[in-house]
Amino acid sequence: MQIKINNKKYEVTEGEIILDILNKENIRIPTLCSYGKLKREAACRLCLVEVKGSNRLTTSCTLEAQAGMEIITESEKIRKARSINLELLWSDHAGKCSHCKKNRQCELQNLAEEYKIENFHFIPRKGEITSQEELDLIRDDWSRIVVDDKNPVIARTTEFCIECRRCLNICPGKMVGFNYRAGDVVIGTPYEKTLDCLFCGACVKHCPTGAATDKNNLEEIQKKLDDINILAVAIVDPAILKSINNEVVEIKEEKKLNGFLKELGFEKIFSLNYGMEKYLQQITEELQNKKDKSMIINSSCVAVNRLVEKRYPELKKQLAKVDIPDEIMAKVIKTDYAKKNKINPKNIFIVAISSCTAKKSQSYKNLDNIITVRELGRMVRERKIKGSSVKELAKDEIEEKDFSSAEKIIKTGELTKLVLKKIKNKKLKTVVTDSVQKTKEILDDIRKRKEEYDFIEAMICPGGCLNGGGQARKIEKVKTNK
Amino acid sequence: MKNELKIITKDWDKLNPLRIEDYIAIGGYQSLEKFISKLKPSEIIAEIKESQLAGRGGAGFLMGEKLAQVAEEKGTKYFICNLDESEPGTYKDRAIVDHNPHLLLEGIILCSLAIGAEKAFIYLNGRYEEQREILAQAIQQARKKYFLGKNIFQSDYKLSIELFSGAGAYICGEETALINSLEGNRGEPKLKPPYPVKAGLFGCPTVINNAETIANIPWIIKNSGEKYKEIGSISSPGSKLFILGGVVKNKGLIEAQTGITLRELIYDFGGGLLSGKEFWFAQLGGSSGRLLLEDELDIKLDFNKKNQYPLGSGSVLVVDKTVDIYDLMLSWASFFRRESCGKCVPCREGTFRLWGIIKRLRDREISQRDKEAMEDILWTLNNTTFCPLGKFSATAIQDAITKLGKDIFKKNN
Repeated sequence: MQIKINNKKYEVTEGEIILDILNKENIRIPTLCSYGKLKREAACRLCLVEVKGSNRLTTSCTLEAQAGMEIITESEKIRKARSINLELLWSDHAGKCSHCKKNRQCELQNLAEEYKIENFHFIPRKGEITSQEELDLIRDDWSRIVVDDKNPVIARTTEFCIECRRCLNICPGKMVGFNYRAGDVVIGTPYEKTLDCLFCGACVKHCPTGAATDKNNLEEIQKKLDDINILAVAIVDPAILKSINNEVVEIKEEKKLNGFLKELGFEKIFSLNYGMEKYLQQITEELQNKKDKSMIINSSCVAVNRLVEKRYPELKKQLAKVDIPDEIMAKVIKTDYAKKNKINPKNIFIVAISSCTAKKSQSYKNLDNIITVRELGRMVRERKIKGSSVKELAKDEIEEKDFSSAEKIIKTGELTKLVLKKIKNKKLKTVVTDSVQKTKEILDDIRKRKEEYDFIEAMICPGGCLNGGGQARKIEKVKTNK
Repeated sequence: MKNELKIITKDWDKLNPLRIEDYIAIGGYQSLEKFISKLKPSEIIAEIKESQLAGRGGAGFLMGEKLAQVAEEKGTKYFICNLDESEPGTYKDRAIVDHNPHLLLEGIILCSLAIGAEKAFIYLNGRYEEQREILAQAIQQARKKYFLGKNIFQSDYKLSIELFSGAGAYICGEETALINSLEGNRGEPKLKPPYPVKAGLFGCPTVINNAETIANIPWIIKNSGEKYKEIGSISSPGSKLFILGGVVKNKGLIEAQTGITLRELIYDFGGGLLSGKEFWFAQLGGSSGRLLLEDELDIKLDFNKKNQYPLGSGSVLVVDKTVDIYDLMLSWASFFRRESCGKCVPCREGTFRLWGIIKRLRDREISQRDKEAMEDILWTLNNTTFCPLGKFSATAIQDAITKLGKDIFKKNN
């Protein structure tokens, strides 16, 4: 079946969504609320197109292709509609970019640039208003803000929120929804309680603006890195190499990343694969020594631990008594490594650079801090490190041995494979699962005693740590002619 | 009086709404009996189709079409009576319940049985607490008389009616938002298609009709659709309830034939303007309605799709020249700034900014930028919103600017 887009013919299937066709054919169409396969809300009203034969503007994200359809994606009318709607969103935002965590990684900011949005179109400037009452009103225009900064992982402020609903649709636990209505609408938890979820970080990962961001005190971390009396150690999760390029374009492989970390002030850079290998060894041991009929759930996914603690407290005993790889490794660094190199462990500051947000919800004995890929990007931007001048460096090693085979466990399923390889008793019954939904189904079966396993490898992020909630998304920016 | 009519309001003065016997005494539930004893569901639908009865909620969709479409579907079906009346200045549906709840019930039972639904809902405006009580009693009484329940008139037909009070949102009068609310979700419109007739409440085929529309059904079944079609305007025949408000002598509810003119409504039924008042304009259909000037009073009021002035909910607000137009505009703007559901950008942000601008307009603080911004907002509300509420919120203000124009932006008092 054929349709025409901007007077050019395209082969499509009937019922295909026009937005998907446009994306596939690389025809530029601005969107904010739609993302990937998420529910199409048609809320942002930016992907508007004209269909020949109708004088109405239609959202392409809800429009199904029909034979003979003729679509126009750019016209004066379309541009006007998009501009006004963007300007309406922008009126809450104007002037706040400089102190926003997502500055230069923001989809709204990019669109505002693309459509050359004026800062104060819908808000009068001070000089235009004389009475005090009205001046107060302008202040009111900026103040529909609900902030949640009590939870340890996700900083939420509706100040930067554009109510696109991506977080609401991506959240596997449906922890947030809309509160209030009309202009007062805010994304929030029921009764605006502090967020207490699995902290998988999917909302932060998908937020187009700075409404949901990683929580951390980066200034404090940077201070420690700059302190010459402190040995700053970075533990790099191999999973982050998949997405660090989306944050810092100059980093294309590991050696360049190491160079950047050195520039930030890290003195030692280790790969987490050492910790992963230790984790593998310890969990294999626990599995070998387990009593018959007892079950072991992997403990490397903190979000799974949280799920079990919150929803399946009776299964808490089954969680492996092994620390997460990052902490295992931090312990080695602060004990054996410190002893060998004659360093006072108190003067070692260990930061794990991770694809995980949930890890932040716990406190650790040896691990001092955890930052996500996005936070690393922010630190690099704040330091204004020039990519071209950064050297490529090799990482440091704790032991002269190759542990890279353990790296595989960043993908769901690989942990079980590696454990089974190491173990002598091959008769173990295992199950592998990821995502909240599937994990819950398995745990429900166990609770109802429908199924029994020896080992359960569960991950909350679909695909495992490789697709962790702490990874960075590619944020496309359209070049504009100025 | 010319054009006077008593279909829905018939015998209101003789009825005690809390006594089913009163309604039976004036011939109530005879249409239902006629249906059970003599007619097939398809014959009822044919009769309603013949009557050309259009939905009285505002959209004017032909009721017979809706019923016929759902009747064809298989499986569980629902019938919903929309009593979420929340258009400012409109209380026609409330009046029906206050005076003759059984007329409404009879209509609901007839429609539900005609489409093969075994469960019907009445979605009430959350503030109609008294009306909920009246309806609850009426349902009880109807059950006792076997007009409702498992064996209606000893037949195999069964129906239960459930009352559901909304939480008080204007948008829940829109059918898909109403369904969302009824399902326990946030009251905001869904994407159409699928239309409720295909996938409505809990995904089942559903007919939703305004209470006033349903109140016409017993008369149609009793007297035939052909007779109903003879009443009033050709394009959308029948009776219509109007609410007359503002500076007229006789305010209140009026039943008249469709096709009546505003002038007749105001001067014949309303007794003209209060003494000493000079007519400025009339607003037709609540806060979302259009404004009509003196020279437009002779247009005919009906549900013809080509009508420049949609009838909406049927309320008429007569405004005289002593009214402060800015206060009125602000009341429209505040209404929509409060009642937008907040789903789509233009409506959520647009109604909010519009409200701010009109506040400045009232205080004569408006700047050139505000004027341009206002035009932009009205344009985007008209062209890009998710559901019709956005368009509604722009209508009256747009009319005020274009029709009452010149003076509105003057900065002096």
